[in-house]
Amino acid sequence: MIKKQYFEGPFGEGYVKAVHPTGLEIYIMEKPNFDSAHAVFGTKYGSIDTVFSKDGGEEISVPEGIAHFLEHKLFESEEGDAFTRFAATGASANAYTSFDRTCYLFTCGDNFYENLKILLDFVQHPYFTQETVEKEQGIIGQEIGMYDDNAGWRVMFNMLKNMYSEHPVRIDIAGTVESIAQIDASLLYRCYETFYNPSNMFICIAGNVDADKILKQIEEEVIYYPPVEISRKEFIENESVANTYVEQELSVAIPAFCYGYKQKITTPERSLKTKVCMSLLLELICGEASPLYARLVREGLINDEFGSEYFCGRGYATMLFEGESTDPKRVAEEIDAEINRIRENGIDKKLFSAVKCGMYGDAVRRMGSVVGSAMSLVESAVSGQELYEEIKLLKSVTAESVVKRLVSFSRENSVLSVIVPKEEK
Amino acid sequence: MLPETVNLGEGVLGRFIKNDRFNTTLISFNFYLPLREETVANNALLPFVLTTCSDKYPDFSKLNYKLTRLYGANLISSCEKIGDYQLLKVGISVINDKYTIDEEDLTAQACELLCDLIFRPKAENGEFALEDTEREKRKAIEHIKGEFSEKRIYAKKRLIEEMFKGSAFGISKCGTVEQVETVTGKSLYEAWQNMLKSGFVRVNVVSSEMPKGLFEAVSEAFSGIGRENVTDCKENTCLAPAENVRTVTENMDITQGKLVLGFTSKMSGTDRETLSLSLMCDIFGGGPYSRLFNNVREKLSLCYYCAVGLVKIKGFLTVDCGIDPKNEEKAIKAITDQLFIMKKGMFTDFEFESAIKSTKDSLKTYYDSQSMLDMWYSLKVFEENPPSPEELSELISKVTREDVCEAAKGIELHTVYSLKPCEVEK
Repeated sequence: MIKKQYFEGPFGEGYVKAVHPTGLEIYIMEKPNFDSAHAVFGTKYGSIDTVFSKDGGEEISVPEGIAHFLEHKLFESEEGDAFTRFAATGASANAYTSFDRTCYLFTCGDNFYENLKILLDFVQHPYFTQETVEKEQGIIGQEIGMYDDNAGWRVMFNMLKNMYSEHPVRIDIAGTVESIAQIDASLLYRCYETFYNPSNMFICIAGNVDADKILKQIEEEVIYYPPVEISRKEFIENESVANTYVEQELSVAIPAFCYGYKQKITTPERSLKTKVCMSLLLELICGEASPLYARLVREGLINDEFGSEYFCGRGYATMLFEGESTDPKRVAEEIDAEINRIRENGIDKKLFSAVKCGMYGDAVRRMGSVVGSAMSLVESAVSGQELYEEIKLLKSVTAESVVKRLVSFSRENSVLSVIVPKEEK
Repeated sequence: MLPETVNLGEGVLGRFIKNDRFNTTLISFNFYLPLREETVANNALLPFVLTTCSDKYPDFSKLNYKLTRLYGANLISSCEKIGDYQLLKVGISVINDKYTIDEEDLTAQACELLCDLIFRPKAENGEFALEDTEREKRKAIEHIKGEFSEKRIYAKKRLIEEMFKGSAFGISKCGTVEQVETVTGKSLYEAWQNMLKSGFVRVNVVSSEMPKGLFEAVSEAFSGIGRENVTDCKENTCLAPAENVRTVTENMDITQGKLVLGFTSKMSGTDRETLSLSLMCDIFGGGPYSRLFNNVREKLSLCYYCAVGLVKIKGFLTVDCGIDPKNEEKAIKAITDQLFIMKKGMFTDFEFESAIKSTKDSLKTYYDSQSMLDMWYSLKVFEENPPSPEELSELISKVTREDVCEAAKGIELHTVYSLKPCEVEK
């Protein structure tokens, strides 16, 4: 019934990928030397899925923050909440919602198959009532309040809001107090029935487990639903940004910044090669071994909070740099200048080979932990890209193919978002 | 799975925590020093200045280049507060030789690099270079100020300062901005000398194989240092219950209020000595099965988080939550009501069993994380033979409901710290 395929990795381990007749994808990495296991049951449904239709039906638009709200509510069932059931086994359970996915997970040392049963059960059995929805509005309202005071969170969303005019990556994952007030039980069911169909879902497991036993259990416990056809609205973004600079005052001691270059994209998804090249490029521009990083630290412009990321998903891609600085505008100028310098002078070959070595080491490191392995499998499930491809690509990618990506950086289409200290009254 | 320990000198202990499952090797040097106002800032800077340059790698971009070449080896540097002591950690994590493309001797290179950083820093005429000192001072000051931006951390830190005013534990682990500002290249160099001379030292290695010659090299390095007045890590004073509960309120321009309650306990000490207290805290406000999660968050919808933090060695605990300030009184009452239930033993068997299971389950996962194993042994400095996670797991099973109830009875509210949004001007 289940179709199986085995992928062998370069570090003496491998994983099984299986597809259930419903379309549910299952990824399992056996790690017999370990004591624990980590399991994730996820759906390709996140905060950016705000306008969609199911099976060719009418397109609907849902309130901001509903995917996250649904995540909170799914823990409840008529018999009690899932946390209580995990408490009886000792597992540590959690869930999260991001732009493009919602994941339910647990880590445990013992009782793995019992925990998997709970996970499969509660994610497949929604239970929402008006009363429980209202109760959650209070809790999530406090969660939103917490993010409103969080400089790291605000600085990023202020940037996205000014960079994207249409794409819902611009909205807060948890929504707003006003938007979540519009959520009711029937709307939650509608989203659930669309996105929690097994054909849109995945299960990723790593640890001290038996793959065959898991597949048998999944076969028995996954409910058969006919696959649905989900059509997500594609948001057309032009290259430009609303404002190249945005500032907000918050009660912080040092300004926080997030500087992003909006990238022109022609297809909704990025290829693995693009992601690998962009990560290498970031390391070359501002990684810890780069000349720019050294200069910024020496001149007192950044501290250990500095970091960079190729931030991309369905319909959006941004190269972003974030951190704390007493002079964020200078940092942005220095990054611009470094990009121009690399464009003109090319890549330092010695640094390029070191950076590849470092990224290879990071890949080895991720496979050295149960959680890291499971998280890598989740990435693979969401992107549809095979896990070990990245390592193969890392070995083969050339400096030329990396440097050519610099064409997509344009100062005019960048946004510098800054949080400045508010003067206390 | 008990680690192998080796004496490497006066107050210097090497510990090899053998574990075959990892594809990396982690080595950490842990220096323990008394927490004192006059030395805290200099000490706190050491792990950071030592991991940015050395005599051999005088420029930190050269050092970072070397680390990148070592397949992205990670340097570890931190400063923690453990009871009345400061823990300075300097370490490295590197992938094992067999995972490199050409089987390079990474581990040996990483050991040599780490020893270089600790024993042969970049210094001249008894001083660290001005540039390095000032850079790390600036980063430390920004880090201290950064705590102000994270209100949850800030509120907790403020409560501890208020509760332990005038005692060692009230000292902030990295010192204050003013204390950092007084640091000079010379004072930092003296702090480094003092750390090597009088710090109590533990060297942890978590790996499948003991790196060849590492302990011998460490032992030799310390033998040339003339160790004296070695820190003994024995003193830890605890707070007496408050005669009157004190309330400290601050106002800031924020959206959400932060409430932190500090409690004293009659029980304190090592893991073995505080089993029932730690279980009591878990039932009270640990996991999602806890009294605080289910009542203050789920039933009353007062907050997104409401959790207990326990400092065993000092015998005190905190409960912190983020709330709408108009609910403050309601939240304090809800929290203290739950404590009352704990004292009366009115918690359910399910909650009790869940706390035991959850604790045992998470103890098992320690063996799957190198950094957690390193942390486990570096935090247990107040006992000669600390228990392994496995041993502690067995001991937890023996705790009874009555023990938990007894531990709860010794808990008293001491200080309330409240961070409130500024009043809107009328």
